[in-house]
Amino acid sequence: MNDDAFEQLCSFFSEIPFTDAQKVGFRALWSTTEVPKGTLITEAGKIERYFYFVLEGVQVLYILDQKGEKVVLGFSYAGGPSGVFDSFIAQQASPTFLEALKPSKLLKINLDAYQSLFEQFPEFHKWGHHFFREVLFGRLFREVEILTMSAEERYIAFMQRCPDALKVIPQKYLASYLNMKPETFSRLRSSTTY
Amino acid sequence: MAALFISAENQIQRLNFLMEKIGSLQSLPIDMLTSAPNTQAWSILEIIEHLNIAYGHYVDKVSDALNRAKPIENDKEPFKARIWQGFIINGQRPKGQTRKWKMKTMKRFEPEAIDTTHGKDHLGPTFEQFQHLHGHLKEAILMGRHKNLRHMKIPSAIGSIVNFYLPEAFEFILCHAERHLVQIEETKEILSKKEL
Repeated sequence: MNDDAFEQLCSFFSEIPFTDAQKVGFRALWSTTEVPKGTLITEAGKIERYFYFVLEGVQVLYILDQKGEKVVLGFSYAGGPSGVFDSFIAQQASPTFLEALKPSKLLKINLDAYQSLFEQFPEFHKWGHHFFREVLFGRLFREVEILTMSAEERYIAFMQRCPDALKVIPQKYLASYLNMKPETFSRLRSSTTY
Repeated sequence: MAALFISAENQIQRLNFLMEKIGSLQSLPIDMLTSAPNTQAWSILEIIEHLNIAYGHYVDKVSDALNRAKPIENDKEPFKARIWQGFIINGQRPKGQTRKWKMKTMKRFEPEAIDTTHGKDHLGPTFEQFQHLHGHLKEAILMGRHKNLRHMKIPSAIGSIVNFYLPEAFEFILCHAERHLVQIEETKEILSKKEL
């Protein structure tokens, strides 16, 4: 991992006051992986082995419905975390796929190393609390959006908060995430301002 | 009959489940693995041997077709199986925990008698071969996600009387294995009751 990548990683864990010596140990727990577009980083039916931090690219998290069609649950992109967290923490087979929608560069840490962080640094408990609170609030907010908003309202709300990285991925993934048909997404894109 | 749409991701998910399930059988007692519920039926180990033999007929054909297939850049839509092939595939697919249309196995797909006199360790190669062969199938499905398989045709294991495009072949092989997984569960249940 180069210094720039490590700096990005440290800023994601900004609550942790590492000493210089601790930083060396922390850095050694992570390794870099690069995958081409279309790679299944995590397969449904397998246990998630890593917690990822994204340096480059966009990844999509999806589940297959009964017809075998992809239902998008979320995205990850540069500067943020990635992985199938439930499978990673519980060490149970993942019900979801994580796929690279763009060529991706990721930092990864395995479960033993991840858990050792909480033992070595009490501040990681605070980080963990914030992190999982954000995940929970995000899921709750999305549930409310899906259950209460019209397709147009969902489209506008999403596009207003959508990072540029997601605006270049195939529309069908965004449409699925917003629980609408690709045709509806396309129509809203051409007729709605936000 | 409704059209059968085939997606690689769906196949990968099911194959992961299948490989995990077969792998977990290795912890069963040797009697459970090698006893048949009746003289006409196979033991669990013989069923796994049969799956190894069946996929063994496809390994080279699949590899060759994949090597000839051209790479594609774009996202692939699910593959629509042809009517006759869809009918054959669905004939193999178990319905829940039921096997439809039970059929006699052709001689060349029958497992050979397994020597069980050397204890459980002797049975390992059957499981290893299963994981190896079905690991090949998984690699093939994964590779196929980035290739144009629409015109890659291979004969089925019973000969050119039935041919498959590669996604159809993968689906047939999977459904066949899932069918035998149901048979394994039935065998386990019968043997467990006999023990009681």
